[in-house]
Order: sequence, then C-alpha cells, then structure tokens
Amino acid sequence: MLALGATLLLGAGPAALAPGGTPSPTPTPSASGAAPGAADRGAQLYLANCASCHGRQGEGSQRGPSLIGVGAASVDFQLSTGRMPAVQTEPQPPRRSRPVFSPEEIAALVDQVTSFGGGGPQIPHPAGGDLNRGRDLFAANCAPCHSATGAGAVLTNGWTAPPLYDATPVQVAEAIRVGPGLMPVFPSQVLTDAQVNDLTTYVGRLRSERLDRGGYPLGRLGPLAEGLVAWLVTLVLLVGAIRWLGRRAGQ
Amino acid sequence: MSARRPPAAERAAGRRIVTAFLASAAGAVGFAVVYALNAGPQWEGVSLAVAFAGLAVGLAQWGRHLVPVGGYVEEHEGFTPPPDEQAMTAAVLTAPDSPIRRRGLLAALGLAVTAIGIAVLFPLRSLLPWNRLRPAVAFSRTPWGAGVRLVDQQGRPLRPEDVPAGTLVGVFPEGSVDSGDAPAFAVRLEPQRFTRPPSGGHVGGLVVWSMLCTHAGCPVRLYLKGTGRVLCPCHQSSFDLLADAHPIAGPAARPLPGLPIEVGPDGFLRATGGFTGPPGAGFWRRQ
Amino acid sequence: MIIDRLARALDDRLRLSPITRRALAKVFPDHWTFMLGEIALYSFVALIATGVYLTFFFDASSADRVYRGDYAPLDGATTSAAYVSTVQLSWDVRAGLLIRQTHHWAALVFVAAILLHLTRIFFTGAFRKPRELNWLIGVTMFLLALANGFTGYSMPDDLLSGLGLRILVSVVESIPLVGTWLAALALGGEFPSADLIPRLFITHVLLVPALLVALVSLHLGILVRQKHSQFPAPGRTEHNVVGSRLWPSYTLRSLALFAWVLAVLFALGGLVQINPVWLYGPFEPSQSSSPAQPDWYIVWGDGALRLFPPWEFRIAGYLVPAPFWPGVVLGGVTFLALYAWPFFERWRTGEHRPHQLLDRPREHPIRLAVGVGALTFFAVLVFAGGDDILARLLGVPVYDLLGLFRVLALVLPFLAGLVAYLFARALRRGDAASLGELTRADLRRAAGPAPVQRGDEGGLETPAPDRPGERIELWPEGGLWRWRYRDEAGHVVLTGNRAVCSEEEAVEASRLAYPGVDRVVVPGPPPPPPPGRVRTALRRWGRAAAAGSLLVGLLLDRRRRGGDRGPQPPEPAESDSPPADEPATPGGRT
Repeated sequence: MLALGATLLLGAGPAALAPGGTPSPTPTPSASGAAPGAADRGAQLYLANCASCHGRQGEGSQRGPSLIGVGAASVDFQLSTGRMPAVQTEPQPPRRSRPVFSPEEIAALVDQVTSFGGGGPQIPHPAGGDLNRGRDLFAANCAPCHSATGAGAVLTNGWTAPPLYDATPVQVAEAIRVGPGLMPVFPSQVLTDAQVNDLTTYVGRLRSERLDRGGYPLGRLGPLAEGLVAWLVTLVLLVGAIRWLGRRAGQ
Repeated sequence: MSARRPPAAERAAGRRIVTAFLASAAGAVGFAVVYALNAGPQWEGVSLAVAFAGLAVGLAQWGRHLVPVGGYVEEHEGFTPPPDEQAMTAAVLTAPDSPIRRRGLLAALGLAVTAIGIAVLFPLRSLLPWNRLRPAVAFSRTPWGAGVRLVDQQGRPLRPEDVPAGTLVGVFPEGSVDSGDAPAFAVRLEPQRFTRPPSGGHVGGLVVWSMLCTHAGCPVRLYLKGTGRVLCPCHQSSFDLLADAHPIAGPAARPLPGLPIEVGPDGFLRATGGFTGPPGAGFWRRQ
Repeated sequence: MIIDRLARALDDRLRLSPITRRALAKVFPDHWTFMLGEIALYSFVALIATGVYLTFFFDASSADRVYRGDYAPLDGATTSAAYVSTVQLSWDVRAGLLIRQTHHWAALVFVAAILLHLTRIFFTGAFRKPRELNWLIGVTMFLLALANGFTGYSMPDDLLSGLGLRILVSVVESIPLVGTWLAALALGGEFPSADLIPRLFITHVLLVPALLVALVSLHLGILVRQKHSQFPAPGRTEHNVVGSRLWPSYTLRSLALFAWVLAVLFALGGLVQINPVWLYGPFEPSQSSSPAQPDWYIVWGDGALRLFPPWEFRIAGYLVPAPFWPGVVLGGVTFLALYAWPFFERWRTGEHRPHQLLDRPREHPIRLAVGVGALTFFAVLVFAGGDDILARLLGVPVYDLLGLFRVLALVLPFLAGLVAYLFARALRRGDAASLGELTRADLRRAAGPAPVQRGDEGGLETPAPDRPGERIELWPEGGLWRWRYRDEAGHVVLTGNRAVCSEEEAVEASRLAYPGVDRVVVPGPPPPPPPGRVRTALRRWGRAAAAGSLLVGLLLDRRRRGGDRGPQPPEPAESDSPPADEPATPGGRT
C-alpha cells in the first residue's frame, strides 16, 4: 500500500511536489512607471496585508523581519511566487502558491516597500542567454540543492529546495540575486548579469517536456523511482504472466 | 491429463492465436515504419512491444489450449551411485601406476603450479603505474600548497571581495581545476559567531574548507545560508561551519579539512599550505 | 523436405536422436515459481542483445570530445567521450535511446527476478542436497549481476554515476591495510583517473558477462542433469518429477515467456524514461546533485552507509573509517551467509539425505524466520537509502526519518522474523491451508510448546504398500511400451513421459519412479475422450513451426531411417507415438 501511494505520488510527478502547480503570471515590473494613484494603492495594500508583521514602515516585528533594504527583487519574488503574504508565521520559509495579488498590485507593493529605503537588489530583467554555459553554471551552483534535473530536493530540518519548473525567468533571476530563505545569494561579483541570463535560459529549458525524450519522466526523481517501477512491473506483469502461464487452461 | 476441449473451443483458441500472431506481425511492420519515419523512442518501443506481446499471447494460448499440460511423470535416478561403482572408479584413479600415488612428485608439481599461480599475479601490479606515489601518500597530497592561488571554476583568480557573505563559492588550485581531491569552497562568516576557530584560519571571516565529505567523498555543496551549515547530498552528513566544519548529523565522523589562506601581494587569495588533513573519505594510513 | 534431409544428415553423423528424444520428453513441474529463474534468464538474453548494439556506439574513454547534435544544452560542449557518446546515443542515434533504456530496464528486472528466484529457492529448501552446487553458482551469479549493474551504471560518466563511483572508491579505501592499494590499482591512480572508464567497460562487456554466460550454462546443465525438484503432492515422490514435458508444452510456454519479457522490456524502454544522463550532466569532481541514489539493487548499500552512525576508531594509530562496516562488512557477511546457508542448515539439522521434494515454507519455521528477517532488514535499508525522497514526499525532516530507520533496521527484522515464525508454526500445526484461514486458536497453539515432532521433516513419501489403490499399468503400443501410474484414492493418473522399446525398460523406468508399487500389464491405453479435430488453419501453423525446428524434423524421420539401417533395432520416436490420450494424426506432420 505504501508502495502504491508512493507510486501515485511519483505518478503525479513534479506537479505533486510543487503546491499550486499552475504557473503564476509573469509580474510586470514597474519600478519607475507607476501612476500617482498606484502609490496610494500600494500603501493601502501594505497596511492591510503586510504591516501587521513587517511594521508600518517596514521596520519589522517579532512576527516578521524588517523589509528595509531587502530590495525590489525580493519583494517581487515573495509576492509573485505566492510565498507572501504568509498564511501563518512558520519557522521555515513559506512555500510557493498562487499569488494573492494581481501584477499591478504587486508592482504597487514593490514601490511601497522600496520607498522605505535601504536600497537592495532591483528587479532583474533577464534576457536570452547561452544554453550551454547555463547548463554548466546550473550544475555548479544550483544542482546541489535543486537537483540536476530541477526537480528540487530535501534539505535538513524539513526544509526543501523547491522544484524549478514553475519559476518564471524573472523569478529565477530574483532568487539568484536575493537568495530567499536558506538559499545562498549570488550577487554580481559571483554571477554576472550575463551568467544570470544563461542560467534563466537553461532553467526555462529544463521545464520543457522535450527534454524527457525517453518517455514518462517519473518526476525526474532518479534511480529509486525507476527501481519502484521495475519492481511493480516485474511483480505485476512478469510474475503475473508466469502465474497464468504455469497453469493449465480452465484450471 | 487434460481433458480434450470440444472442437468449438479449439477453433476459438485457434482464431485467437492467429489473431495474436497477425497483431505481432503488424507490430513488427509498425516498428520498421516508425523507425524509417524517425518517429521517436515512444513509438519504437510501443511497436516492438506489440510485436513481442502478440508473439507471447499467441504462443501462450497455443501452449495452454492446444497441447497437453501436466499429467506426465519422469523417473529420477538419484545421484548416489552403488558402492561398487564408486569403488571401481576409485580403483581406476588409484591404480598402482596412477600419478596420484606418487606423493613426492605430486608435491613438487603442486609447488610449481603454486609458484606459477603467484608469479602470474605480479603483472597485476602494473594496473597502478610504477612511477606513481604510494597510494596512501598520493591520497594525502593535493595540488594545494603555499602560494597556490585560489581560482573559481572558470579559472579566474579570486579576490576577497569575490566571496560576499551569504554565498558559497567553489574554489580550486590555480592550474588544477579538474583535480579530484582539490575542490574546496569559500564562505564568508561573521568571526564573532565562531564557536570553534577554523583550523585553516580566516581572512576577515573568509574561510576555505575542502569540499569533499569526510564520509564517502561526495562534494558537500548544499549551503544553508544563515544556519552556517553545509549538507552532503549523498548521505546527508551535515557540517557546522561555525564550529570548524565539524559534523553535527549524519554518518560523517571527521570535520572537513580547512585550507589556510592569505591575501597575496597581487591582491588575490592564495593558500599558505595544503589542507589541514587529507581531504575526502578516510583510509587506513590517514593521519 | 530440405529440413528433413538436413536433420537426417545431422543425425547420421552425430547420432543426436536418443539424446534429443530424452531431452524433449524432459518433465517440468507445473508450478509458476519454477519460471522465476526463466524471467532472469530471458532478461539476461535481452541484456546481451541490447548491450551488443550499444557497444557499437559507446566510446569508452575519458578523453575530451566535443558534442555536436540535437541536445541543445550540450551542443558544442567538450566533455569526456564516454558521456558525449552516451548523449549521442540517446539523442542522435535513431532507436539508440530505445535500446539504451531497454538495456537499463532489463538490468533492473534481471536483478529483481534473480532475487525472487533466490527467495523461492531459499524458502522451499531447494538448495538442499543434491543442489548445493547450483545454489553456490546462483549466489555467485547474483553477485556478478550486482557488479555488472554497477559498472554499467557508472560507465556513462554522468554526474550521478560519478558520485556513485566516488562513494564506491571511498568504501574500497576504507578497507584496513589493503584498501588504498586496491583502490589505486583499480583506478590506476587517483579518482577520477583516465584509466577507469576503459577498465569499467572491459569488465562490463567482457569479463563479467563471460563469467555469467559460463555460469548460466553450468547452472542449466546441472539443472538438466539433476532434474527439477517439485512440491509434494499425490503421485510425486523423491524418485520422480511430475509435470508437463519440454516438448511441446514447455517449449511453447517458455517461448511465450521469452516474448513477453521482451515485450515488457521494450514497452518500458520506450515509454518510461530511465537514467536521463543528458539532464544529469557530465561528471565534475566538484559538482553534485541531490537526491543522489544508485540503482535499486545497490540502494541497500547506500542506505546502510546513511544509517551507520559516525563511528570511527584507530588500531595502533591506523584509521578504520565508518564506511568500512556498512560498505564492506555488511556486503561481505551477507554473501558469505548466502554461500554458507545450505551447509549451515545441514549441520544444524543433521539432514544429509538428498531431497527432490520441496518444503512448503511453513515446514521450516526457523528458516522462514531467518529469511523474512533478512529480507525485512534489507527492505529497511532500501527505504533508508531513499530517506531524502521519502522525507520530501512525507514532509518530515530527514534526520527524523534517519533516526526512525536506525531503530527500524534493528527492530523490524526481529519482529518480522518472529511473526513469520509464529505463523509458520500455526500453519504447520493447525488445519488452515493458507494464511487467510488461520484462526486465533491456531496462533495460540503456535505460541505454546511444541507437540511431538513428526518423524520426518523432509516430507519423504509414506511407503508405497500402505497406500491401497496404487498401481503401475504397462501396455504395448505399436512396437513400443508405455506405462502410467494410477492412484484411485487420489484421483491421479500420470503417464510415463516417453515410450520405450521393451517391457523391461518400461518396468525399469516405472520402478525407479515408484519403487514398491505393483505393476500390471493392461491391454492398451485408457479410453481417451474423443479427440478434437484441429482446424486446418491451426495445422498449418503447426506445420510451419515444425518445419522451423530442426530437431522436430529429425525426430519425424526416425522410423523411416531406422528401417534403412537393418540390424539396428528401430528407435522409437517420441513424436511418432503421441501421448496416450491423443491418437496419431500424421496428416498434419509432414
């Protein structure tokens, strides 16, 4: 039964491992071109949804960290991946889910939080990059936690490195620059903008089903999932066949 | 003995068998077509599977419905020969002129064969070229040494500011990026948080350790920012960088060896010696 | 016609027909567990066939090579030739990926089938005298299968296989005294060495497969010589084998299984992706991926490495690293125990007689308990090897799972063994035929003190004279003699598997099979039920198959040729004298 349950989970593939599997809409970063009314909207949204934990001026509280100096990229990443606003305060980083706010509302909130000052990384604008270099950079910097296949992996204490299949290029670039949660941060002296472009291009390609040329990918979880399938097939199809073959017809 | 089926059932079985073999032939033709069209592994696999499955179903139906199953018995002679038969064989083997009786000669023969057996093992030593270092020495040595500059995977020399806080940078000895036992990583920590000083020292909080897990040698590269811990992906050993990379969970027993570093006159980071211990998994002569 | 003449020509020169006649009449027991080994055999055939195809494209070298092809993220990259050629095989060689994946699936199924076969042999006591030799060969083949699986997994030089190799090298290095030397000799230097992939390759495609082929042949040769064991039932004794004959019944069924194994493997190879090395990327000493596991049949080792606590100690200043115990000692002890079990059991039970009748698993509660306990232990290790994936699927911290598995690995085997022991005793003593029929009273009795032991644990048949209604019937048929065993009480009628030339031969064969049973000569075969007329279409198929088989043609001509020879007594041909319940239908046979 456990095996069956695991198979079902495996069968659901990456989708099962990524809560809220629907790709979120690409946020429209509008750091500069926000209308005057947007600032008011951002303030309202901030007070209604964020201030209770992060403080009225982003100074932070016992329930949430300070937002001064986190940068536009961080705010956009947390909101556009649905990690914020968090349903409850947890010791571990919240997981990806459907974003609560519309792209416009997110842009307004980004403006609101950046108005608290402190600088921080801006929202990156990844462009097309080189797949080959991206693969190499991914293997060196991302694969240890997110798996070479992009399926994600478990860390200690119940933390996980999430699968990357739902991340948009902007979100990938933001995560690289910001280092949300436990993820290391990769500022420009570690990874140049061109290298980030290569990486986002490769990550975008990783989610493509064309890479699963061999057929059903089993969640790209590797040899254990394959072994489970081999055993199920051996037991059901092959041992079943010999049980049938070993008997006389009509017996 | 199986009761013979009435003819109608037999005819039905025959029809099923013919159908299965026809399906098999169709699958085989399908495979040829799929291959010629380069339709991809999925179609190739399915068509071949159909071809063989048709064969299997047809043969199985044939074997189950149209030939007798069961009801036969074959005698089993047993394998304990009669005593006189054994004695006869033994007599042939141990006849007076039998080589088995010449104990002295046999001993000499045994000696010769054993000597040959041992001698032919010697060339196996060539599997490891003779001009190499003894294994335990080779495993303890790495390309690191005093004055060797730290470079990244692309071979660029690193300055201290290339390793900001909150990230992990893979570092390699200049000129030996592909070496198997040299990979190391650099992180920037807050020295006041150290619970145990790094064995290789630090340059303004910048510390370098061997990347190879002391358990089974996998690259320890999962850095959990903020906790100051790295995790091995193979067997989940966890090392606390704030405590000189001592293992805190999992099967690893020894801390990661550190690399003593300094900032050279050219402003680039360089090692002041080798690792503080042999990197990677343990072995008998490991000091 | 051509086949007839060819067959005759061969027989004239090699005199194959007596051997062939006996071989075709060989009796296989009709029980499905006897075909588990065949699944392994046919997976092995599939492995060889697909593997040979792969060698045409695989370049076993660590030298740099530039990839040019359809896989865009690698296009233009320079990596090892082994990796490049594997990606090319997967993306640019037409049908290459199908064959590669089928090869890998076949390996997984191969080892699974071996394990099932071994489990069956163990629990039914089929390893007992006279079959200890085949047990030793079988265990050796199991070991070789694991070795070849690992070398094959390691050859593509991708990131996962590189991590696996690195772990294996670390395990070898951990062996006291000789570990570093063994590792350095195998690698020809330090990991990762340029010599490693060519050495893995020659081991994988020549050394181990050649050994396996030799041992498979020996395994089957001994099997034919010793004949099959069988489960006890009316009419089955220590001196016979009851079942269906090789020709035609098992020929058709075994070929059907062969085709089915190929069908399943190709379906898997085409539809389910396995080991996508292009996604993993080439091996670099400083790169890693998570989760990282080996193929399932090695995972128990990986699980043991994860579970074993960080205990290291020094002997006179020399280090014994932690991986030595779970990596070397555990595997070594496991296989030594497997090798030693038949002799251990013989020593413990003092049972030196040969056995052709198998035990039901329940008849040896201790053996069952040991087997179930060992399987449980390794199952826990396999789950522990996937603790990171399980932690993610279940959403629990991985170190909690680790602690749980450490406890389970020590406790669960004993619990499972105890439960198996009690159930076996309950089944043996009670009236229940299967687990489902066990009552609570049976279980209570099982826990109590043992009743008086039955005289014979091995299940030897009761002496024949005590069973009234048993007899052997002999009858002439044409110029030949046949015999059958009839047990009125047990409603069993078993026909001798082949016709013989004289009454004496028939008496001799029946006496061997049923010592002490009375023999009577009867006028002829039992009244058969009316024979069914096989449809003409069917007969055509039958003819086609017969024409395709050289040996059949050979047998069909025996009578004619025997007449030509004059002085030689006519050799009865099995196919010409059909089984007792089936009259000769020569129409469809020439």
